[in-house]
Amino acid sequence: MIELKDVVKRFGDLVAVDQVSLTIEKGEKIVIIGPSGSGKTTLLRIINFLEKMDAGKILLKGKEVGYRTNKKGRLVLDKPEMICRLRSEIGMVFQHFHLFPHMTALENVMEGPLTVKKEKRENARAVALDLLGKVGLLDKQDVYPAFLSGGQKQRVAIARALAMRPMIMLFDEPTSALDPELVGEVLTTIHTLAEEGMTMLIVTHQMGFARELADRVIFMDNGRFIFEGHPEDLFSERMNNPRIKAFLAKVL
Amino acid sequence: MTSRPGSKIQIISRLSVLVGTLSLVLIILPVCISPADAAGKPDQYELLAEGTRLIQIGELDKALAIFKQVNPPAPGEDAGVFVRARIEAAKILFSSKDYGESARMCNDILARLPDNLEAKNLLTQIEAAQTPEWLRFLKDMQTYLPTLVKASGMTLILVLITMLVSPIGGLFIALGRISRLRALSSFFWCYIWMFRGTPLLLQLFFIYYGLPPLGITLSPFSAALIGLGLNYSAYLAEIMRGAIESIDAGQMESAKAIGMTHWQAMRRIIIPQTYKRLVPPVGNEFIALIKDTALVSTIAMVELMRSADQIFNATFNIFILIQAAIIYLLMTSIFTVCFKRLEDRLGVYENR
Repeated sequence: MIELKDVVKRFGDLVAVDQVSLTIEKGEKIVIIGPSGSGKTTLLRIINFLEKMDAGKILLKGKEVGYRTNKKGRLVLDKPEMICRLRSEIGMVFQHFHLFPHMTALENVMEGPLTVKKEKRENARAVALDLLGKVGLLDKQDVYPAFLSGGQKQRVAIARALAMRPMIMLFDEPTSALDPELVGEVLTTIHTLAEEGMTMLIVTHQMGFARELADRVIFMDNGRFIFEGHPEDLFSERMNNPRIKAFLAKVL
Repeated sequence: MTSRPGSKIQIISRLSVLVGTLSLVLIILPVCISPADAAGKPDQYELLAEGTRLIQIGELDKALAIFKQVNPPAPGEDAGVFVRARIEAAKILFSSKDYGESARMCNDILARLPDNLEAKNLLTQIEAAQTPEWLRFLKDMQTYLPTLVKASGMTLILVLITMLVSPIGGLFIALGRISRLRALSSFFWCYIWMFRGTPLLLQLFFIYYGLPPLGITLSPFSAALIGLGLNYSAYLAEIMRGAIESIDAGQMESAKAIGMTHWQAMRRIIIPQTYKRLVPPVGNEFIALIKDTALVSTIAMVELMRSADQIFNATFNIFILIQAAIIYLLMTSIFTVCFKRLEDRLGVYENR
């Protein structure tokens, strides 16, 4: 469904993403792990066009999207309308939630359908209430984000992304900013989504969660995939890559 | 007949007595009356002249004594000298603050000439001088309050219109400033640089006096509004730019992540979050604006400051200025309270 080909992203001299290729099939759940600074988040942001890649291709349903080559042969982002349309089909959940603080939980979830999709208010409201129910926060619909716990905020953020009916959900360390006792509720919500067949790409440090949920695990280091495969293989005794072993020894 | 010569002598002697008495009367009468009459008149004039001379050399007490010697005129007689003398006496008494005696002199005149203007005016002055100063000031304040209130209406109109116009102009300029289009951003940078870097007074002068030679003639009112609007737009633009840039970058990203365009994100997500942050600095600006409207008095605009200034110049009553100050304070206080309320209301979504 989504395909990345030889994606490169540089920040000055640093190569954050180094010729990465990745194919995501519909309904697939992929977890990316790796030490911080390895390019996981950057890769996610490239898929959502929040970061402009320097080279490579992004294909959606086999069609190259989001970029064109300018006269100097440089890769430039497509017209803003085009990028916005693509983004509206890709849900993103941030580490720090980034809920809209001046809107209630319900308004946060309704905002995308209202402003971007120009849906009728009643429709947007019905969908939003349904999604808030699904993440277990129907009773918090009129509460402003400042009065929600971290876990509740992240669940509202998930509902907000889902309201756009995305074809894929990108999670960027969704539990990293949470107090330990609040991690569970967010992971449960993501689990429920996975069971419903949502296509997902998750960057996380929750190894148990990765092992349980992922169809495929990618270990990223220095902008490259140094492991891509079944979670059991990554966590097995036979794993002999010293970098992966060192990392797992630290986090497990 | 021989027996009558004695009686003849008798008659002659009686006649002589009669003539003598008559002549005596004729001689004495003029002495009794004429000197008092003929020599008296020049005496009164002399008194007046002597008094006037004494005033000129500063011998006020002596002059007063002299003037007091001038007697009231007999009925039907010319009262000129008497009136002159009494007025001069009253003036001397007035200048030595003997208001009671001075008033008595004036009333002396008015008793004979009820329409004497000079005496009447002096009486009014005596009355004014006798009222305590604070009472006079209070009376002035009462007299001119309606004028000041009316003038504050104009101040308020200037403030309110500028308050409506400048945030719109400010937002426009702020968005221009943060635009990625270099030309647009530079243009508004120059605008802000110019309007914040020169005195408002100079800008008002330029608009009111400098534009007519270029073929643009403005009424004081429109010149004042244009000056205040342009100037305050520049200030508000910088405040708004700061507020927009102070919103967490994550907000723009998450708005874009759900598919919003840059302007949708600005309009729906970023700008609404600046409102609460804007209220304190913008409130400050608007309070400064209330006071800055005083500057438009220099371009012939009659508002509170100019009105107070005019009345002050006519009365030299410092309380008029204090009154104007109180009206300014009243306006700024109301604004302060309103902005505090607004800030609290806009902050409902914050957990504090």
